[in-house]
Amino acid sequence: MTRRDTRETGPSGRRFGATELPPEIERVVQQAKRLEWATLGVIVVTIVLVAIVMGSSQAMRAAWIEDLLSLIPPIAFLVALRVARMAPTRARPYGSHRSVGVGHLVAAVALSVMGVVLVGDSLLGLVTAEHPPIGTFDLFGHTVWQGWFMMAVMALSVPGPMILGHKKLKLAEQLHDRVLYADADMNKADWQTGVATIVGVAGIGLGWWWADSAAAIFVGVSIVLDGWKNLKEAVTNLADRRAATIDGARPHPLIDRVERVAWAEPWVRQAGARVRDEGHVFHVEMFVVPHEGADVTVGRCCALRDAIAALDWKLQDVVVAPVDELPAEVHGGRSGEHQTGEE
Amino acid sequence: MTITRRAALTGLLGGAALGFTACTSSGYPADPDGTLDRVTGGVLRAGVVHHPPHVDASGAEPVGPEPDLIRGFAAAHDARVEWTVAGEEALMTALEKGDMDLVAGGLTSASPWTSHASITRDYAEAEGPDGEPVKLVMAVPLGENQMLTALEAYFDQRAAEEAR
Repeated sequence: MTRRDTRETGPSGRRFGATELPPEIERVVQQAKRLEWATLGVIVVTIVLVAIVMGSSQAMRAAWIEDLLSLIPPIAFLVALRVARMAPTRARPYGSHRSVGVGHLVAAVALSVMGVVLVGDSLLGLVTAEHPPIGTFDLFGHTVWQGWFMMAVMALSVPGPMILGHKKLKLAEQLHDRVLYADADMNKADWQTGVATIVGVAGIGLGWWWADSAAAIFVGVSIVLDGWKNLKEAVTNLADRRAATIDGARPHPLIDRVERVAWAEPWVRQAGARVRDEGHVFHVEMFVVPHEGADVTVGRCCALRDAIAALDWKLQDVVVAPVDELPAEVHGGRSGEHQTGEE
Repeated sequence: MTITRRAALTGLLGGAALGFTACTSSGYPADPDGTLDRVTGGVLRAGVVHHPPHVDASGAEPVGPEPDLIRGFAAAHDARVEWTVAGEEALMTALEKGDMDLVAGGLTSASPWTSHASITRDYAEAEGPDGEPVKLVMAVPLGENQMLTALEAYFDQRAAEEAR
């Protein structure tokens, strides 16, 4: 009873696997793609600029390595999107939506590594009382402290990720794309590290040798926490946990809505759904217990399936299974009117 | 959480700005251990390695282009030079412990002492032991950025005078 869309309709660019995308969602996809290419451009420019002014500064070196790491989530997004577009085949009957989960895991690892490196490196610097040296440049006959260059480059590198990350958060929610969500966290980490470096270098200028490490630990801890949150999300989603909102805070509201659609059918006595997040789209197994004596026809099941699929573009892979008793682990278990959202 | 973090960052920035105005007397960038302040009008403790033609330490007082540069730098900061002649490792250890303000002796930009000392920008080129060109540098205590900046500024000043 799985819905099977004809694969001939439309170019593959307008779909996620077998799921046809509404025009407004396809626009969001294109917007997200452009944002990610822009991100790659901004990061590459930053990497080149930082490499030029880096000198022997360990702080700048760390910032540079972080920039390299922040290339990973945009690449993961673009690859995952491409793979998710592929139509289901006999060998891959669920489609390739899980590429989003894999991409999220890759991005989460990159974010976590960045945080751990930053905190570890800075703690080591504090413990060994490493006094960072920052010398001068000869700029057309003027001796200028290199710290000014570092602060200038870092100041230039802050607005880009700040704006990009903010925009991505909105799109990630609409698309239900966790790679994009993790990348927004990576952008946040980027600009916060930039601000920390400015504060750190300014502090070094004041003779506070510990300033750079202290500022880096300050933002490093928040990056580690973000990384850990994403890592947990990525793993549990890949391990088929109940579909959740993009931030992982609540069960996804669509679960409740699909169950309500089933409860509303006059022939249904009890209904409960298992909904898992395939990446972008959900896989719904709707268990229904019919009223005694009610006819469970193919037509009724198909109508229910179509009613569920009509709720949201994310719901295309829907299975309706008539059973004599609901499985214990699905939400629900009583008749529609009495079922309460226990979540 | 975000708000407290942002507030703390603003606080750090504000503190840095305040500190900046408060510390201008000791210069920006400043030395964490006040090396240049101590040297100015006092004693410059210079360590040199016998390394002709850059440093000839066989006489009573070291002579050569590098000791000349060091004397010039000291004079520019009203300081008297107190010389120590020893091996490179001994001098670098003393520099790291804070018993020395400057080390010279044919050091190059390829020096492996970067994690023990602040290595200056190169002030001249010379021919290395293998006939390849090398860039000559000196060393000051690690992270003493005002001292480093002052010495590099003196190098630039000398280079400009020579070019004239």
